[in-house]
Amino acid sequence: MSHEELTVRAVAPDALARVIGDAPHDTFTVTDANRRSLSERLGAVATDRHRRIDAWLVERGGRPATPFSWSPTAARRILGNGALRRLARSRAVTLRDAARDEIDDLLSRAATGHQRAGSLGAWLANRHPAELALVHAGAVDWAGSLADVAASLAADWTVASADAYYDVERARTTLRARRDLVIGRGDAVVRVRGGVPRSSAGPGLRADLAAATFADPEGRAPRRYVGVWPDAGVILAVDGTDANVRAGARDLVRAAIVVSCPGDRLAA
Amino acid sequence: MTLTTTTPAGSILEVLRGERAARPPRDSESATGLRAILEDGLGEVSNRFTRTSPLVITAANVVRHADAIDIARAPIGRLRGALVAQFVRLIAVGHRSDNAFGDALRAWCVDQSSLELRGILDDLDADGRARLATEVSAHAATLTRALATVPATWSVRTALRSRLPLTGGAIVLSDVVDLVIGSSTESTASTVLVDVTTSPIGSSAERLLRFHALVHTLRTSVAPWRVAMFSTATGELVSDDVDVTLLGAAVDDVLAVARR
Repeated sequence: MSHEELTVRAVAPDALARVIGDAPHDTFTVTDANRRSLSERLGAVATDRHRRIDAWLVERGGRPATPFSWSPTAARRILGNGALRRLARSRAVTLRDAARDEIDDLLSRAATGHQRAGSLGAWLANRHPAELALVHAGAVDWAGSLADVAASLAADWTVASADAYYDVERARTTLRARRDLVIGRGDAVVRVRGGVPRSSAGPGLRADLAAATFADPEGRAPRRYVGVWPDAGVILAVDGTDANVRAGARDLVRAAIVVSCPGDRLAA
Repeated sequence: MTLTTTTPAGSILEVLRGERAARPPRDSESATGLRAILEDGLGEVSNRFTRTSPLVITAANVVRHADAIDIARAPIGRLRGALVAQFVRLIAVGHRSDNAFGDALRAWCVDQSSLELRGILDDLDADGRARLATEVSAHAATLTRALATVPATWSVRTALRSRLPLTGGAIVLSDVVDLVIGSSTESTASTVLVDVTTSPIGSSAERLLRFHALVHTLRTSVAPWRVAMFSTATGELVSDDVDVTLLGAAVDDVLAVARR
C-alpha cells in the first residue's frame, strides 16, 4: 500500500484551493476494531505518567522536546487563530484590534484568578507593556498569514476552535492533531506552520491525519490533510486513505515506544 | 527609483500606499517564470550543495560586494539595528513608548534574541550602553515621526521571514522584511515591503530591495506593488515600483551570488 504525499509549490494564488478541490471523495473510516487495536498497541508501551503524542514528536523521531516555556513565538498561534476567529464573527473589528482583544481577555481572566499557573494568561499577566506589544505583533503576523491562506480557499472555512484530541482507552495516552482551518464539515483540514518543511513533514502530516481521524466521533478521515508553510511557499498534503491513516497510527505508536525507551531508539 | 531626501510630512506609509485607484492589477503570472529561470540557472551549481548542507542566499550576500564598508554590519551596528527592528514591531501595533531603548531592549530580550548580540550587549560598559541607548532613542524618534500612526485597518506584518528552498532544497533564499503593508490576496497590486535601516542609504539599496521583491514574489506567487527603504539615520526614503524588469534583475543577482 502506498502512502504518498502531494507536494505543491505555491506558484499560483489558487494552488491551495486546487489541492483541496482535487481531494478524493472516498475516505477511510476507523472501526471499533481499529480503536481497540490502537489501544492495545499503545497500552503495551509502558509509561509511568499520562503522555501526549503528536506530529511534532513523530517528526523528531520521539526525541523529547526542550521544556516548554511561553514566548511571543509560542503564543502567536493561539492568539492569532483566536483573532481571526473573532474577525470571522464580526467584520466590524480589525485584525489588530481582534488580536488585542484576545490578549485583553486572557489578562482579564488572569486578573480575576481564572488562569492557572503556567497558562498563557498567567504568563501574559507578568509581561511588561513592551513585551505585550511584541506578543501582539506576533499574533497579528500569524493571523495575517492565516487570513491570507483562508482567502485563497474556494470553499467555506472556519478557524478550528481547538486542536483535535483523542484519549486512547486504557493506554494513558492522548493523541493530538494540530489544525488551524477546517474546510466545510471537516472535508479537509489545513495546518499552518512556520519555517520550512523537513523531510519528516510527510510522516508528521500523516500522524495528524491519524489522530484527527481517531478523534472524529464517527471515525471519518478528512478527505485531505493539508500542511501549509507560508514562509517557504510550500503546500504538502496527504489523503485520508486507509494506508495514510494506518501509517500515521504506526508512527504515533513508534514515537510512544521511543519516548518510553529513550536509550533504545533502534527498537522503534 | 524614487528618492525622497527628507522624511515626508505625516506618515511615509501614506505616501507609499498612494491612491488605491491608481494601483495596477496584481501580477500573479511572473512567479512561475521567475522560479523556472532560477531553478534552471541554479541547477548548474546546485550539485555542490545538499539539502542537509544547503547554500543559503540572504540579502547580505546579494549586496555585500556593492558596499565594501557597511557600518551597519559592525557588531554594535547590528545590535542597534536589531533593537530598532524590534521597535518597528512595537509601533506597528500602535504601542506608544516614552522609553524607546528600554522598550526595544525588553522586546528583543523576550524574543529569542541572538546569543552573539547578547554577548556584545553584556560586554558594553556603562558609557557604551548609554551611547547605544541614545542612538537607539534617536533612531526610534525619527521612525516614530515618519511612520506616524499606522491605521488599525491596514494589514501590517512585521519581521516577515521567508525561507524558500530551490533545486530540491540544495539552495535556499532566506530573507526578513521589517514591515509589510497590504495583502497579496487583493485584486490590485497592494503589498508594500519596507526595509528599515539604521545606516545612510547606500548604493546597494536597489539590489537589496529587488531581492526582497523577488523572495516575496516566490513566497506568495504574487509580486508586491512597491519596495521601499527608510533610513532612520538620515530620514531618507527610497522606493521602487516592482515590475518584471526589476524582478529579472533580482534573479540575475541571485544567480551571480550562487556562481561566485
